[in-house]
Amino acid sequence: MSHVTIDGREYEFEGPQSLLQFCLDHEIELPHFCYHPSMSVPANCRQCLVDIGAPVRDRETGEIRLDEQGKPVIQYFPKLQTSCSHIISDGQVVHTARSSKKVEEAQRDTLEFLLINHPLDCPICDQAGHCPLQIQAYKYGPEGSRFEFRKVHKPKKVKLGPRVVLDAERCINCTRCVRFTDEISGSGQLTIIERGVKNYPITPPGGSFDEPYSMNVIDLCPVGALTSVDFRFQARIWEMASTPSITTTNAKGSNCDLWVRDNLVLRITPRANPEVNEFWLPDEDRLTYHRFNENRPLGPSLHGETESASWDSSLQRVTEILKNSGTQTVFIASAYATVEDNWMLIQLAEAVGGQVAGYISHIEPGHGDGWLRTDDRTPNAQGCERLGLAPIDFPLWQARIESGEFQAIYILEDDPVASELCSIESLEDIQVILHYYSTTNQTLPTADVALPAAMVAETIGTYVNESGRAQRVVPAKVIKGMNRTLMMQMGLSRADRHGTPFDRWHNESHYIDCKPSWEIIPILLKALGAKTGPLGPRKIMRLISDTIPAFKGATYGAMDLSGVALPAIETEVIS
Amino acid sequence: MAEFIRNPVVELPDPNPEAHFSEEDLVFTEDEKSRITDWVNQYPTSDGAVMWTLWLAQEKFGFLPPEVLQLVATELSLPYAQVYGVATFYTQYYKEKKGQIVFDVCTCFSCQFCGGYDILAYLEEKLDVKRGHTSACGRYTLQEVECLGACGSAPMMQVDNGPYMHNLTPEKIDTVLASLEAGQSLPFVSITLPQDEDEMGGNRRTDADAEERYLTPPRPRQTQ
Repeated sequence: MSHVTIDGREYEFEGPQSLLQFCLDHEIELPHFCYHPSMSVPANCRQCLVDIGAPVRDRETGEIRLDEQGKPVIQYFPKLQTSCSHIISDGQVVHTARSSKKVEEAQRDTLEFLLINHPLDCPICDQAGHCPLQIQAYKYGPEGSRFEFRKVHKPKKVKLGPRVVLDAERCINCTRCVRFTDEISGSGQLTIIERGVKNYPITPPGGSFDEPYSMNVIDLCPVGALTSVDFRFQARIWEMASTPSITTTNAKGSNCDLWVRDNLVLRITPRANPEVNEFWLPDEDRLTYHRFNENRPLGPSLHGETESASWDSSLQRVTEILKNSGTQTVFIASAYATVEDNWMLIQLAEAVGGQVAGYISHIEPGHGDGWLRTDDRTPNAQGCERLGLAPIDFPLWQARIESGEFQAIYILEDDPVASELCSIESLEDIQVILHYYSTTNQTLPTADVALPAAMVAETIGTYVNESGRAQRVVPAKVIKGMNRTLMMQMGLSRADRHGTPFDRWHNESHYIDCKPSWEIIPILLKALGAKTGPLGPRKIMRLISDTIPAFKGATYGAMDLSGVALPAIETEVIS
Repeated sequence: MAEFIRNPVVELPDPNPEAHFSEEDLVFTEDEKSRITDWVNQYPTSDGAVMWTLWLAQEKFGFLPPEVLQLVATELSLPYAQVYGVATFYTQYYKEKKGQIVFDVCTCFSCQFCGGYDILAYLEEKLDVKRGHTSACGRYTLQEVECLGACGSAPMMQVDNGPYMHNLTPEKIDTVLASLEAGQSLPFVSITLPQDEDEMGGNRRTDADAEERYLTPPRPRQTQ
């Protein structure tokens, strides 16, 4: 075991590692801009300078020379070193800005240089509030600038591609974005042009920064130089609450944060999870948040009537339908819904005596890229498989539904009409009960009872990604009847903490009148006189993990925020 | 640079420039391709050959518009963006069309002190072209450049990314222009450090003979 002394405290380490990463791992803060753990180390921002010394060894004997007190004599490097590019070795002594005046001054001077041509337009900058340059200038920077001349003006609001905007003046040339396109995504679409004070990153003439992972550079940018076309000037960082969640546009289940202001999801950013998506998120995952806010139902509806319907009357109607149809009911599970919802659906089917047809598989061949996008456009097909549900055999079930074999069809959070499982005409003589997310659902016009279901941003539940990793989500948006402060796991923005429902910014219509399916189905079970089983997703999941081997270990405690890998199962290859 | 300090504005390069060369022109010959392959083989990755290849392209096409950079990128299997970044970093790669003869007059510190701006103004007058521009006939381009590393023989200029002209005076400019008009190539003048003057005949280059040898003039001893 080797030792390194940082600011007078001794730490143990093993194997070659960068000093900066070692410090960050041990919660020793070192200011830095260009360093990123998953990319090469150019050491060009010069912000992480530290003073490093090594014990002096006797040239002949090779032993460490000791002073009068018996302590090793330390010889310091003549110049300060960039900690990101320094590989620590045994016995080295490191001084950061906390214990060395020299380092403190060097870091302050570096920041003064970085800020010479920086426009300091923080009041209108999207990055303000979570900007490494702003934070580090406060903590380590000079009080003011001695630069009295005109700042260099560079192009502003340059649209690099369809989703990313560049403000070249704010750029500090850390090259993170360029390294991302070269080393991580491999598109090589960005470069730093010109030299000296004139340089900034851009696409070459005629080029467009349109790769499917382009928006990652926005998170990488340590200043506000790269901003999102979509989110630009939409909200300040402190007005939003961020809640850890996962993306549901594909079967990868990339970890993300949902940023919510006044109960509207305004953006989606990646959340680091080395087992799933590391630090990255594809653009398609980020830009799908509109579906959480727009075209949402106004409440349950009976035969398309929302105003006269209430949750009580709608659920009563569902109970009547299910009682009448009994074994002539077909249930359609959903790869969009959580494991808990699908499990509850199976319980309901058993109570009613109907059949579960399986789930509708949404495979889009050629969409996947072997990285964070998959052919499967649903988040939970693997979870359905592990519950024993199979993808619906289309010709078979099309024929069965059209033959009039069923009196009622119970659809969990999917759209069989849009996916061409059944036509509106074939459903005319069948009672349709639909759990749905959005008013654009094409099965909705034919639904007898339509129950608004909570989406991933509003529910608690578990999704299993394509590689069999169970990940749970917590609500980011509150639904009607839910209180953000009482839901202990939800993020709170400043406005959430200190605001009231009587504030002018508060908009009641952003609170969707929907329920999670795991809450709806037990009500039906109770009304049907069946056993409701465990109530609440945490208890449901505990029962599932105890009773179904494919979910062994998937308790809420074990999944926590980074998910848990489930035992491998043999899945049928979907052709 | 002086102009930039007065008005420090960096313009956005034209995102969709018009092509200068047709597709038939945009090819490397077999000979050129084999030279590029030789360069690529000298380095572990093809990045190393990018500057050689850009230079070759500039000699072939005269300057490096985006379509030529694209050609270089394709030839070396590098991202177009990377080649563009390299080409814009070096001022001696010409991104726009220049005259047949390019004068790079140094106006950096030492040359400025020794009359670099006078030389620049004299050339402006003589060639009837403004600094940073190309003459109407398209023959001459006059540029103001930063230090070319020949402060010992200031004021100086470089012609066509090639020979250095040292210790410029209006008379010397006249002779240089006259020989250029006559179609003669300019001589290579070797300048060595005073301590090296006696070695190697004052010429540190082994690949060119110095036609003219410059010796540091004896300086008067500094008196208080």
